[in-house]
Order: sequence, then C-alpha cells, then structure tokens
Amino acid sequence: MSGLLVNTNNSIRENLWRYFIVAIPYIWLLLFFLAPFVIVFKISLADPIIAQPPFTPLFNESSDGGFSIYTTFDNFLYLFQDSLYFVTYLNSVKLAFIATFFTLLIGYPIAYGIARSPQPTRNILLLLVVIPFWISFLLRVYSWMGILKTNGLINGFLLWLGVIDQPLELLYTDTAVYIGMVYSYLPYMILPLYANLVKLDVRLLEAASDLGAKKWQGFLDVTLPLSMPGIIAGCLLVFIPAIGEYVIPALLGGADTLMIGRVLFDEFFLNRDWPVASAVAIVLLLLLVLPIVYFQKKQAQETSEATA
Amino acid sequence: MTSDEKNFIEIKGVSKHFGDVVAVDNVDLAIKKGELFSILGASGSGKTTLLRILAGLEIPSQGSILIDGVDMTSVAPYNRPVNIMFQNYALFPHMSVFENIAYGLKKEGLQKESIEEKVQKMLALVKLEGYENRKPNQLSGGQSQRVALARSLVKEPKVLLLDEPMAALDKKLRQSTQFELMDIHYELGITFVIVTHDQEEAMTLSDRIAIMEQGQFVQIGSPNLIYENPRSKFVADFLGNINLLEATITEQNDKEIVVDCAALGGELKFDQTEQANASEMTVALRPEKVMIEKNIPTNDDQSHIKGIVEDFGYFGNLSIYRVKTESGHVIQVSKQNRDRVEQSIKWEDEVYLSWDNDSLMLLGE
Repeated sequence: MSGLLVNTNNSIRENLWRYFIVAIPYIWLLLFFLAPFVIVFKISLADPIIAQPPFTPLFNESSDGGFSIYTTFDNFLYLFQDSLYFVTYLNSVKLAFIATFFTLLIGYPIAYGIARSPQPTRNILLLLVVIPFWISFLLRVYSWMGILKTNGLINGFLLWLGVIDQPLELLYTDTAVYIGMVYSYLPYMILPLYANLVKLDVRLLEAASDLGAKKWQGFLDVTLPLSMPGIIAGCLLVFIPAIGEYVIPALLGGADTLMIGRVLFDEFFLNRDWPVASAVAIVLLLLLVLPIVYFQKKQAQETSEATA
Repeated sequence: MTSDEKNFIEIKGVSKHFGDVVAVDNVDLAIKKGELFSILGASGSGKTTLLRILAGLEIPSQGSILIDGVDMTSVAPYNRPVNIMFQNYALFPHMSVFENIAYGLKKEGLQKESIEEKVQKMLALVKLEGYENRKPNQLSGGQSQRVALARSLVKEPKVLLLDEPMAALDKKLRQSTQFELMDIHYELGITFVIVTHDQEEAMTLSDRIAIMEQGQFVQIGSPNLIYENPRSKFVADFLGNINLLEATITEQNDKEIVVDCAALGGELKFDQTEQANASEMTVALRPEKVMIEKNIPTNDDQSHIKGIVEDFGYFGNLSIYRVKTESGHVIQVSKQNRDRVEQSIKWEDEVYLSWDNDSLMLLGE
C-alpha cells in the first residue's frame, strides 16, 4: 500500500515537472507575443487624440462611477478606403515575393553545393555563409549604397570596361531593394535548405540513375520534391521579414518604393497616429499568419497521410 | 560449364582505387547467361564496389566490363541493360508503390496503358497486388524488399544486381524469400548477380559462388565444390564450420605426400596433386564428417582417436561437440539427432571419434 502511495506521489511530481517544462514556451509566447499583440490590437481600436498616450482609452470611467467601453473600427475601415494602403500592401507582397524567389534561385545551388562537398570543406563553407552576420546589418546595407551609387563600384567598373558610357541608375530603385534583400536574407534561405539537402540519401539518386534517369531528371524527380520542406522553410524565413522590411527600402529604395514598413514608420513617428499604425501592423500580421497556417496545415496533413 | 556457352558478363582485369585504398584488385570473371551468381565476402572485401562497377555507379580505375558482348566500361548507369536492387532498397519515399515501380518505365517514355499493365504484372509477381497506393513508410521490411525487387525487374534488364538482398530481413522471412527469389530467377531467366556476406544465403541461392577477399577472388565454383574442395585455409574457414589442424610434411614424392598430424593421431597419407613447397600444412576436416560414439568403432576402413567431451551444444536437429583428444587438441564434431531420445553423450564422457580418410583435406596457406 505504502509503495503505491509513494508511486502516485512520484507521478504527481513528475507531472508537475512535465507541465512546468511544457509551460515555459507558452509563458514566453504569452509575455512576448500575445500580450504585445493584445496591446497593439487595443490601440488599433482607439481614436487618435493629442495627449499622452496619443489615443483614446478603452475603458472610460463615467461620472456616476460606472465603466463604459469605447472601440472603433474606423482605423481598419480607413485602411480600406485609402487606396494608398492597399497599393502599399500589394507592393510589399510583390517585393517580398520577388526577393524570395531570387533568394531561392541563388540560395538553392549554394546550399546544394555545400551539402555535396566533402565534410571538412562543408564546415568552412557554412562558416562563410554565416560570417556576414558578425557585421551589423545596417552597416552591410549601407555599404551597398557605396557599391550601387552613380559613381560607385559597379558603375565605375562598367564605365571602365566601356560597356556603358552613362552611369546606370541603380541606387534608389526597386532593383537596389531586391539586391539588398537577396543579399541580406540569403543565409536564411541557405541554412534550412542545407539542413534538408545534407540529409538526402545519395542512393536515391543512384537508384533513379539506374532506372534510366539522367542527372537533371534525377534532380527534378527526387532531390527537388524531397527538399520541399527545406524550400518552404527557407521561403517563409525570407518572405516574412522581407514583407515588413524597413531599413533596406529606406536606404536603397526610391521615393516611389512603397513598402508597408515605411508606411508604418511614417504613421507612427511622423503622423503620430498610433491607432492607424497599429491597424496597419495587425493587417500585416494577418497577411503573414494566413499563409503560414495554410502551409502548416498542409504539411501536417501530408505527414498524417504518410503515416496513416 | 561447357566451353561453347557464351560468357554473358565478362569482367577483364578490373581494378578500383579509392585514393590509396585498392577496393578491387585486378579481377577477372565470366558469368554465363541466366546464371545465379553470388559474390561472397566479408565487409570491406570489395564485393559491393565490384557490383557498383557492374551497375555503372563506379567507373573502374583499370580494366573493362562487357555485357552481352558490348563494352559497358564507361557507359552511364541510365544507359545500361542492368538494374540494381540496393541493400536498403532506396525506395523513393515521396512516391507510392505504383510510382516507384513505374519510375523506370516512365523514363523510358512508355505509354500510360503499357506502364499500368507492366506494373500490375510485377505486383502480381512479387505478390503485392492491392498495395499500389501505399507509400514506402507504410510497408514492412519484406514488402519494401518486394517493391525494390519489382522496381528493378520491371525494365526487364539483361542482368539484375542484388546488393545484400536479404540483409534487412529476419531469419524466417529470409528463408522463404530466398526460395521466392530463386523461383523468380527461374521464371524470368534473367542473369542474377548477388553480393552477400551471408555464406548460407550464397550456398542456397547460387549456381556458382565467387569468394572475395581483399579485392580479389580466392575461389570460384559451385557451392558444393567450394564447400567440399576449398582451395585454401581461408576459404575452408569462411564457408561453414571446419577443424583446421596443424600438420608437418614428413615425406613427399610424385604420387603421395605424408604428413604428421598430431591432432589426428599421427601419420596421414594424401594423393599428391601438386608439390607442396612449405613444410607446414593444414589438415581440414568438416565437423559433420566425424562420427562420435562411446564404443570403439569396429570399422577397419576408418581411423579413430579417443577423447573427452569438453563442451556440447544442443541445436534441436543436431548437436555440436567439442572433443579434447588425448594429444590435447580440440576437434569439433556435429551429430544429427536422428533418434527421439535423450542425449546419450554428455560432458566429460569418454568418446571415440572416427572418419573416412577421404574426408580429410590437405591445405597450404
């Protein structure tokens, strides 16, 4: 009997431990994701006022001691009424999409090459991919201005070669933004792709080759579909920060490079319209969460299908 | 093998180096059409490398490969009339059973209907009808093996290469699969080349076996020939159990050779086939060729010695005894348990061992 009692005590203690360990990430998300989200959401439902803080409170104490709640959807409606926001969101998605596409196009062969190189070389190459992180992001983007500007490195080189006789308009264009984004986010594409490709069983390619597939067919039929999880992970890691990017379009983009990060900054710091800025942020979040949830569901479905 | 039968696979002076390592060392081999040929060796003997050279997955450093009279030495794997079944099957995990088997046909550019028909025929052959929509991770080890077999047979290759085909199966399944594999081989008449480290598997399956050691063949022949007439100590020891007993040459002339073998009680005479150039030899005797009994054997044709049972193991169908002879040597004996009675010979029993002198083999190094 006593043994049984000790046993249940132990299992309760074990369960507590289990709950505690599982709770840590939840507490983290609660404190640093859900709480800020609720605050931003609250602000997005308020009216801007000239005060400190610059928005109307959610709860109002009326003169007779009761509470009333004040919310408004005006800010969200405003986003839909003013076409500027719609165009900016669309443009952000477009820029992020194209940047992600080129990052994938450049990152995939690099990741493939690293995964296929011999072990000691592999570690050196991976280190080279990560090394740029040791220098400040801002500094790296800033140095691209020196490379891209009218009398910068690229134009200087092309003029010297005689390919062009007029310097190209590179800086302050969408092209510059793409270059900056692809350059900055390339490691986020390479690392998950590498992690996936390095696991690929080479014998599968040998089997494909044995069954009549030429090298490129083996790549299309085996390597590419099996690296899909790596492609999706890499694309999400690039697309998500790219869509809300502020620094790169601010430094490299032209006045007509509309990105939601810039609008957010302007609403917040120039217009001091916190509620509209919050609404912009909430819509951006929804824009990002929906595709992620979709991919996750699809992946979960595939794994459950495969193991059923 | 008659000499007028044409060699179907010819391996001529093939070597393969990986850096300083010589995996395959100047190997010659001829395999007949329709043969079920095994390459048997320990891991690292170079057998898998040789198979990969046949498949075109490795290019030999030297030598040439001919299949059906055509030089295949530098032909790409996808252009060879050869298919391989990999050790762990290498099934495409993202494709269904049907898609896995159909893959090779699709690359050939076959019509959809004819692909469907051929895949169904293969599924019937390996007894996997109804499994076409499963994914490889929904299959058991035996089913995966069958899919791999079907996938490598569906293109009707001239030669099927099998890399350790049974290694991943449990013992019971292995035995039944061996017989099925032999049936399929018989039915299709395709030349099979099997690489294995399992001597039992090689013995049951093969028409001929090549034993490989350190990148070279040490003996090639039928299972029976290699088992009963091993050419060296290594082969004798590698294939089955055997007693290897030291002996010294005391006399030799053109006809016979006389050795002194202390373990078997003194002088033994062998017919001379080739002059031995070392004085230290080995006398080999298979455990199943030794009789063990408690009474003195009366058969005059046989030699016998006395000993004490040091150890014994009961395996159901047979018992294995380790007998310490009067000279202090240990000889292994196996005895079929023909009668349904309690074991009559046990530890510490005094026994007599006898054998036909024909069963003895004299081996050099």
